[in-house]
Amino acid sequence: MKPELATVLFPLILLAAIFQFMPLLTRRGIFFGATVEPGFLESGDGRRLLRSWRWQVALWSVVAVVAGILLLRQNPALAVVLPMSGLVMAAGLSYWRKFREVHARYGVSRPEIREVTLAPAGQQRPSLWLVLPPLLAIVAVALYLHAHWDRIPLRFPVRWATDGQPQAWASRDPRGIYGPLLMAGLLTSFLLALTWAIWRFSRNTVMRHVTVRGLQLLLYPLTLTFLVTALLPLTNASGRAIQGVLLALAGIMLLFIVGLIYWSYLRISAPGQMDEVPEPQSDSWWKAGMFYYNPRDPAILVSKRVGIGYTLNFANKWSWVALALLVLAIAASIVFGGVRPSR
Amino acid sequence: MARLQINLDSEVPVYRQIVDGIRILLVEGKLAPGSELPPVRRIALDLGIHFNTVAEAYRILADEGWLDLRHGRGATVLRRDTPLAANAGRVQEFRHRLRALIAEIRSQGASAAKLSAELRSLADELKHEA
Repeated sequence: MKPELATVLFPLILLAAIFQFMPLLTRRGIFFGATVEPGFLESGDGRRLLRSWRWQVALWSVVAVVAGILLLRQNPALAVVLPMSGLVMAAGLSYWRKFREVHARYGVSRPEIREVTLAPAGQQRPSLWLVLPPLLAIVAVALYLHAHWDRIPLRFPVRWATDGQPQAWASRDPRGIYGPLLMAGLLTSFLLALTWAIWRFSRNTVMRHVTVRGLQLLLYPLTLTFLVTALLPLTNASGRAIQGVLLALAGIMLLFIVGLIYWSYLRISAPGQMDEVPEPQSDSWWKAGMFYYNPRDPAILVSKRVGIGYTLNFANKWSWVALALLVLAIAASIVFGGVRPSR
Repeated sequence: MARLQINLDSEVPVYRQIVDGIRILLVEGKLAPGSELPPVRRIALDLGIHFNTVAEAYRILADEGWLDLRHGRGATVLRRDTPLAANAGRVQEFRHRLRALIAEIRSQGASAAKLSAELRSLADELKHEA
């Protein structure tokens, strides 16, 4: 298979696979974002709706793949972005229709009973010891590179073509050498800030535990990738060998993420798993089963009904501020970020 | 660990449910003098209600002499001397409120036998505390 074709097919197939399993990544008693009886997924109607969703998404996925292949000939730059955006929008539309059907025909209402433990906030803080090893590893590699500065070539490749030939180079200067470590540090800081925000602005639920622990564990493969990248200039390996290493790292990352999602799924969908502090129950706060809008709720971050992690309470002005900051940060990282290799 | 439960669908105002719930824990000794309660912000966030609702409940309990409120640091349970014996007027008011409550619950379908058993159970708990 041509590498260009693989870059189009791989993300599309991955997205299609995620959509196939998405309705299962939910708490018991929630289906397509609507509140149902806890055993509804195992019922005949539950299975029928799941099958129908899978067929619809499979159809849209095939259309996206064909569009991607056709676009690859016409306009390679759009061959990934357009089909993926189309697939996301089509799946979103199907999801919205399923939410409406489930809510109207099988939805149940639960009493809005909330419970809280009257323990001081300090007793509930998450442990941070898991983030220490990646941070120490970044410092250790920085010191190692500093100690072996003279062994690093004055100019070294940082990007390779599919045949293993170097495409772009970087120089032996602080920016070129410590750039990957700086990125690792920034990413670690961002994930730590996200962990803090989740703890501070969300309820004490199983989802909070799963998300905070998941973000902390995610630091390991991410840091490993950056550390290996930072150490590459010290090796005399060929472009092919380095590409093999980077591919292996991507594989490790993928396996890790799949494992993390599976572990999270087991935790949040476990029978009898009760949140210490339940999230609001009414479907009326969930627009299209996906977007949370509750002006009475002071929480900014709320457990997602489908998928792992959190969504914003769009009725809170600080959610919009956070969203704007995130968009600005992404735009800034695209415009100013990264080491710009010389050709 | 002391737990507070509220029902947002109830007709009883939320601040009243918080006051009643915490007062029960205080009277039953599940929140001992010196215990720290979470800050208003944390409770409001966990219960999904407005900060002012929790602040109002804390203020009422502080006025009753149960809590010491410190700005931004939650509340501390105070040692409260045993209140003086209630006068006849207060007892009469309590009796009236209890009868009104029983009538309300019976009108919603609760059986007299069930209510009687509940009241007996509560009376037994009180006897143990006395």
